Amino acid sequence: MTGRIELPQGTVDLVILRTLLPGAQHGWAISERVQQVSSEVLNIQQGSLYPALHRLERRGWIKARWGTSDNNRRAKYYELTRAGHKQLDAETEAWRKLSTAVEQVLEGA
Amino acid sequence: MLDDLRYRVRALFHHNQVESELDEELRFHFDNEIQKYIARGMTPEQARRTARMAFGGHEQTKEDCREARGTSFIELTLDDARYAIRQLIGNPTFSIVMILTLALSIGANSAIFSVINGVLLKRLPYPEPERLVRIFLSSREFPKFPLNPWDFLDFRARNHSFEAIAAFTRGDVQLSGEGEPVKLNGFGITSGYFRVLGLHPQLGREFDFNAEIPGNGLQAVISDRLWRTRFGADPGIIGRKITMNMQPFTVIGVMPAGTEHPGNEYHSVAYGESVDVWWPFSFAGNSNFRGSHYIEGIGRLRPGVSADRAQAEMNSIMTQIAREHSDNNSRWKVLIIALYTEVVGTSRQMLLVLLGAVGIVLLIACANAANLLMARASGRQREISVRLAMGAPRLRVVRQLLTESLVLSCLGGALGLLLAFAGVRALVSLLPADFPRSNDIHVSWPVLLFTLTVSVVTGILFGLAPAMQASRTDPKDGLQKATRGTTAGKHQNRLRSALVMAEVGLASVLLIGAGLMLRTFLNLLHLDPGFKQDHLLTATLSLPHAQYQKGEQIADFYERLTTSLAALPGVESTGAGSDLPWTGYDENSGFNIEGRKPAPGEDFHARYHMATPDYFKAMGIPLLQGRFFTAADKKDAIPAIIINHAMAQKYFSGIDAVGKRMTFDDNPKKDTDWLRIVGVVGDVKDQPNSPAAEPAFWWPENQAPQPDMSVAIRTNSDPRQAIDGLRQAVRALDPGLAVADIKLMNEVAESSISTPRFTFALVGLFAGLAIILAAIGAYGVISYTVGQRAPEFGLRVALGAQPGDLLRMVLAQSVKLAIPGTIIGVVLAFSLSHIIRGLIYQVSPTDPLIMSAVVALVLLIALLASYVPARRAAATDPMTTLRTE
Repeated sequence: MTGRIELPQGTVDLVILRTLLPGAQHGWAISERVQQVSSEVLNIQQGSLYPALHRLERRGWIKARWGTSDNNRRAKYYELTRAGHKQLDAETEAWRKLSTAVEQVLEGA
Repeated sequence: MLDDLRYRVRALFHHNQVESELDEELRFHFDNEIQKYIARGMTPEQARRTARMAFGGHEQTKEDCREARGTSFIELTLDDARYAIRQLIGNPTFSIVMILTLALSIGANSAIFSVINGVLLKRLPYPEPERLVRIFLSSREFPKFPLNPWDFLDFRARNHSFEAIAAFTRGDVQLSGEGEPVKLNGFGITSGYFRVLGLHPQLGREFDFNAEIPGNGLQAVISDRLWRTRFGADPGIIGRKITMNMQPFTVIGVMPAGTEHPGNEYHSVAYGESVDVWWPFSFAGNSNFRGSHYIEGIGRLRPGVSADRAQAEMNSIMTQIAREHSDNNSRWKVLIIALYTEVVGTSRQMLLVLLGAVGIVLLIACANAANLLMARASGRQREISVRLAMGAPRLRVVRQLLTESLVLSCLGGALGLLLAFAGVRALVSLLPADFPRSNDIHVSWPVLLFTLTVSVVTGILFGLAPAMQASRTDPKDGLQKATRGTTAGKHQNRLRSALVMAEVGLASVLLIGAGLMLRTFLNLLHLDPGFKQDHLLTATLSLPHAQYQKGEQIADFYERLTTSLAALPGVESTGAGSDLPWTGYDENSGFNIEGRKPAPGEDFHARYHMATPDYFKAMGIPLLQGRFFTAADKKDAIPAIIINHAMAQKYFSGIDAVGKRMTFDDNPKKDTDWLRIVGVVGDVKDQPNSPAAEPAFWWPENQAPQPDMSVAIRTNSDPRQAIDGLRQAVRALDPGLAVADIKLMNEVAESSISTPRFTFALVGLFAGLAIILAAIGAYGVISYTVGQRAPEFGLRVALGAQPGDLLRMVLAQSVKLAIPGTIIGVVLAFSLSHIIRGLIYQVSPTDPLIMSAVVALVLLIALLASYVPARRAAATDPMTTLRTE
């Protein structure tokens, strides 16, 4: 478990939205994907993943539908809505600004 | 926004589907994790364990998801409520006791609140009622006195504080013409009276200033009720002539339904729609004679003017008037009282005391409910431990338990509301006849809101402590000891005992209050009224001026009437007087005594009455000295007067009053200006609970004829049998006369003590309820501890204790709970004594007899409450109890 980082809630939302950009995914695939892409650094615990998915769905940024998984089981797939795309753009930009700014501060110090 | 709503609604209404979908989603994730670990080379068993470790609390995640969905509050509450109802059905005795006690106490609160809402909280039925005030005069002797008509005119002309002021005075009229003659409640009013109240006639108009001029007075405004019942709602009534007091009055206006009388002091009639006719008050006579006060003032303040400022201005006008007229006006001050205060004044304190009493009952019910819940919660430790061990957050358990108490209190509240509907009807029928605004007492929306609030607050109040305590259960302990069921700690026992003590204390306060009310009521009941109220029929008559213009005619009428009534079978004696005892009569007159000068600043005055010769005999008022009036006290005979004992004490102390002379003339010249005191009679107080009788005197009806008289008929059997005879005798003398207010004197006497009786009945009822609740509480705690101590008792019996010892031990425990309770009660009662002082009569609020009786009663009840569990303890069989250990 060493070297893994627990994400704060706001960032979880951003990461989930970004993970869904290529297409619909079920919850387990999202968590696997995040681990993979972040080279096993980021880990979204189920305890925060599912509440976050439900929260995003409530806000209308993602929508859910039931589909069939690779191993032929019924699974709940989430995909970005139009509002979700906009939200992803906005949050990505905000994150870029923030990280650049923080980076600059760190450099300058 | 819309998405959000749709989502929440789906989550709420498709609750079960959403829940199972959530389960399936999490299950899918879990299974995938296991597959992943197996793929990495773990055994299925290892994979399952690892996945479970990584997964964390399943319940917790679900809970967070519910919360994220945003429906959780309602959803959880519904869930909790369903669970709570299952729990309650599973334990019916507990539930029924809880719901019934809560229903009784919440219902009682709602009923009393209905009265308070109608009487104290509801606005008076006039526009902007806060600007309405009553205008009185006030002096050292007469704190609230009516106005003089001429002073009123000066007030009206000179003030700047009021938008309008008006005056009114009681003057009933006899309506004849079509059908039986009837006597109607009537008021003489000045122009602008209805404008002051903010009311407008539905037909026609109100009186203008011209109507106040003598000679223009034959006009009338009538009530909606009279218009409908007597005149068939004739739309052309305006301008029609109606016969009142044998004179033709022209109807100029009809007031709408809901025109309520604002109440009055002098010859008062009840509040509400109690007046049927208004006639114009006319300002006749000499404006320099300002001694007689008989009109009542009412005014509407200008916006922004306070009652104090108006009072200051009116007082400066009063000072001017006194300067302009050198009579003794200077002793009067103007007193302005808000109409609201005037209307509710007398009932306010009583209602607040009742609210306090019923609030105490509710507190006791809360303590009781908390107690029962705590006892039950300790029996439910296993269930709670299981829930905690499954990962349910403690807050969730508290919520669940609180929901249970809320379900209980709301069921109790709903049932209580039904009780309140019945209770309010009973209350209104029990209310004293002169109680203000009793028509406004209903179970209305504010009462429903009040009941809901009280139910919820009650539920939280009695549910919170037991819930907090239960949630502190350590799951490990709870599960281990769960088989034993009863493991309440010392802490809980102490808390429960403290609750019972508080209950006993509060119940003692109410019992002491009920004791005081009972003593007050008995004192009033056994009071010597100064007259004999049994076997006495009374009625009132008023002779219209148009037909009885001369004093001789009036005197002759009453002489002939009393003579013919005395001849009726069963009648012992009969008389007529200007008034009856205990009916609020308050007419005063100044006088001079021969050879005496009043001290500076003092003047001689007393209550005056008129009476026919046999009036005192009929009333049963005893003669102390001298003689009663006789038929010989005629118009031309020596003027005679009878005084009461109080007047003899005040003005003829130490000397024989009989034979002394007094006069009503400031400059008596002739011998006939002097009246000779011929007798002294016993005192009758204004009201049964008045501190003392007022000095009073009587003129003989023959020498000072009075057209409006009350007839008193004393019979030797049921006085109701004289009613027909009375009607016939009056009809024989004058077929146009109405006989009004036919009553038995003991009914009058009864209604005069109806307020103390009402207060006693209610406080007594609440005290009874309180002590029953406290007894249930004590019973609950004692029987619970008896159960807890069963092994100990078994051991004691095994070691040789006798059943009697165990019985005494348990009874002693109960007394130990009751004694601190009664001490709390007595101390509380002492500190609250000032609140009740105004409601009790001839008993000290700290009466030692009542206090000790209550302490004894409470201890007795504590013993009774613990007797059944004590018997159970005494019957302990050592073998059974020790074996179960």
